[in-house]
Amino acid sequence: MTYESQKVAIKFFVISAIFFGLQTLLGLLLIIKYIWPDPIISILPFNTARAIHTNLLVVWMLYGFMGGTYYVIPEEAKTEIYSRKLADLHFWLLLIGGLVGVVGFLFGWTAGRPLLELPVELKWAVVVVALIFIFNVSMTIFRTKKWTAIQGLLLGGIVMLAAMWLFAIPFFKNLTLDYYYWWWVIHLWVEGAWELIAASLMAFILLKITGVERAIVEKWLYIELALVMITGVIGTGHHYYWIGTPEYWLWWGGIFSAMEPLPILLMVIDTLRHVKERKIEIKERLVLYWVVGGAIFHFIGAGVLGVAHTLPVVNRWTHGSQVTTSHGHTAFFGAYAMLILMVVYYALPKLKGLKQFNEARGFWVFWITVLGMALMGVGFGGAGIIQTYLQRILGIEFLTVQEFMKPWFMLVFFAGIGFTVGVVLYIIDVLKIATAKPE
Amino acid sequence: MEKKTARNFFIWGTVICTAIFIWLTIDTHKTIPERTNTDKLTDEVVAGKRVWHKYNCNGCHTILGIGVYYSPDVTKVYSKRGDIWLKEYLKNPESPDPKRRKMPNQNLSADEITKAIAFLQWVSEIDTNDWPPTPITVAKVTGAPLEETAMILKGKTVYTQNRCDLCHRIGGQGGVIGPDLSKVGTAKVPQWLSQIIKNPISVNPNTQMPAYPHLADDEVQALVSFLSGLK
Ligand code: HEC
Ligand code: HEC
Ligand code: HEM
Ligand code: HEM
Ligand SMILES: [Fe+2]
Repeated sequence: MTYESQKVAIKFFVISAIFFGLQTLLGLLLIIKYIWPDPIISILPFNTARAIHTNLLVVWMLYGFMGGTYYVIPEEAKTEIYSRKLADLHFWLLLIGGLVGVVGFLFGWTAGRPLLELPVELKWAVVVVALIFIFNVSMTIFRTKKWTAIQGLLLGGIVMLAAMWLFAIPFFKNLTLDYYYWWWVIHLWVEGAWELIAASLMAFILLKITGVERAIVEKWLYIELALVMITGVIGTGHHYYWIGTPEYWLWWGGIFSAMEPLPILLMVIDTLRHVKERKIEIKERLVLYWVVGGAIFHFIGAGVLGVAHTLPVVNRWTHGSQVTTSHGHTAFFGAYAMLILMVVYYALPKLKGLKQFNEARGFWVFWITVLGMALMGVGFGGAGIIQTYLQRILGIEFLTVQEFMKPWFMLVFFAGIGFTVGVVLYIIDVLKIATAKPE
Repeated sequence: MEKKTARNFFIWGTVICTAIFIWLTIDTHKTIPERTNTDKLTDEVVAGKRVWHKYNCNGCHTILGIGVYYSPDVTKVYSKRGDIWLKEYLKNPESPDPKRRKMPNQNLSADEITKAIAFLQWVSEIDTNDWPPTPITVAKVTGAPLEETAMILKGKTVYTQNRCDLCHRIGGQGGVIGPDLSKVGTAKVPQWLSQIIKNPISVNPNTQMPAYPHLADDEVQALVSFLSGLK
């Protein structure tokens, strides 16, 4: 850390960790509802619990990205953040908006669209948060006009994230068009905007810990992200096979999305190569674990498990089954959760001026969450394969098939408990570091 | 490759692919009226969509295969179940079976139910490129002829799965739209029973009883064994 204002990131990281914990608890509740009869169905029915699970997910990731950005931008632009007050302002706005959203869900205040359940008023509040954030980051960069690829692509990702969000706001009369633009938010986020943000943050940390030349890191960053956009934008078509859109999407979507793993594979290769060709000794061993582990898990969850059901011949049978859940969890965890934990384990000790901190707990967090999520992926995946076979291929009734899937849901449940332990350790770590006295 | 070349690759790659994507989007919009029958997208259907959102039905169900995987996909539920069944079902969706995953009663008003059904009817006519796919083989739980008791058990399951209890009572449990079936086995012969299940209109042209054309032959047979046994 070189700039005082970077410290504003601390509270973003703390809230991010706490919401991660809450999200995970709600996940456990969901899988319990899948397995056993539901005694609290009238107080907290499945749809409400699931809306909280996924919205908390988005909020904690946004907090992670914002904190990461506030750490990175001053060092890249070589200046203090334009306004700490504005950063505080949108920190609180997002927190209040998020909490009102969660409480609102409990009282049935919902827009009723999956993942985008936030009522329209709160969606506008998110727009305001995004505008303040973008303004603050841009002004910081403009101050010194030192454009680096890392900060340019990071800002690009943030602007794209905000722009896509606008499609979450209108009411669509036609369900097909509703889902057409729904994916402009969901898909163009996780396979577009968020990749830009994540890869830029990753490039920054690789640059710092390996000491590889900036020109090299940034060149590969451009190539990776070029491929992300080239495959990912038209790749949106892998969601347009069966929703009432024309048949030609089977070709456009199938071909382009099948290439989406390429940039992700390239990210793994680049990461390993930068680490191998490091110019300085890597002191942050724990961060290195998250860097390499994250690159690999990203590839497995998003690349391998994504491509597994992206071709129309497969997706026709697996669409909307637990196969999707398996991919959704492993991809989000590998691509974004691990990335944010990497950023936090890198930045937080530095923000607190700790030259050294005990990494032991962090290694436990790493192994427990990685194993837990891998097993959850297997659990959902097993359930998904059974569902695809019995329900879609043999035509057995939905709820009858769910009975056969129970052993696999049990695996998710137990792996989920383990995973939760890992998350609790993580929260303890974050709170300990955040409240530590500088040396 | 130089960094500058890489940057241009990023910029032009993004621009060109976005342009193609927008072009495809414009073309898609042109096909929407025909593929989704926008002429039938009446105010009532739109109101039904609002009901669908208001109760966050999508937070348990998928529709067009998108949403949540906790309960059955409803894309084609209108063509499968029909008007009458849906109306009764949405009034009282909670299955009497305590072990079965439940759809909680959301206390929709009669008006909301009508609108929701109009919405589901419109959705069922969207051209989805034949999704959900027809199963490759329909699993016959019965390979060899089942023993009598197994057949009856299966019939009971079919009865629950298709929520016949919405309209019929057996031993005091169930709805009141149709006759009590507690003793139906004494009054009716199997052949007549299978006819009324498959094609109730042929028995009574003004009947309220919905047809169950999607039931497989062995399922009807099982139902009939179950009902004939009620004496
Ligand atoms: C808390 C979760 C939940 C919510 C919310 C919910 N459902 Fe359901 N729904 C279910 C479950 C579970 C079933 C299967 C129940 C059964 O078969 O006994 C079901 C079954 C159905 C069926 C019958 C499907 C079939 O093929 O048999 C229809 C139609 C339906 N729901 C419509 C709706 C509508 C419309 C709404 C919103 C007003 C809604 N559901 C809200 C859980 C839910
Ligand atoms: C929406 C309500 C409804 C549902 C659901 C329904 N029925 Fe009926 N059923 C009726 C009505 C109404 C009648 C009276 C027929 C008439 O109009 O003569 C009837 C008649 C019958 C009869 C003849 C009874 C008699 O004594 O005349 C049988 C048997 C029967 N239903 C079986 C079934 C089975 C099996 C199912 C499930 C697969 C089922 N019904 C689902 C409404 C329903
Ligand atoms: C204890 C751990 C967890 C459990 C048991 C769990 C369980 C579940 C369940 C049962 C669902 C609902 C699936 C459905 O019916 O649609 C769900 C949805 C979801 N969860 Fe989790 N979850 C956990 C942790 C997480 C974590 C850590 C993440 C992200 C990194 C995550 C991301 C998601 C996403 C993105 C969805 C929506 C998925 C989709 O539409 O396919 N969950 N989760
Ligand atoms: C980093 C990245 C990724 C994340 C976080 C992610 C997450 C998700 C989530 C949460 C869903 C479920 C959405 C819903 O319906 O609720 C989904 C669906 C899907 N994803 Fe990904 N994904 C990623 C990358 C990819 C990639 C690279 C591919 C393909 C190569 C892919 C292919 C698919 C497909 C085909 C579906 C639709 C599944 C269905 O039909 O039900 N994803 N993804
Ligand atoms: Fe996608």
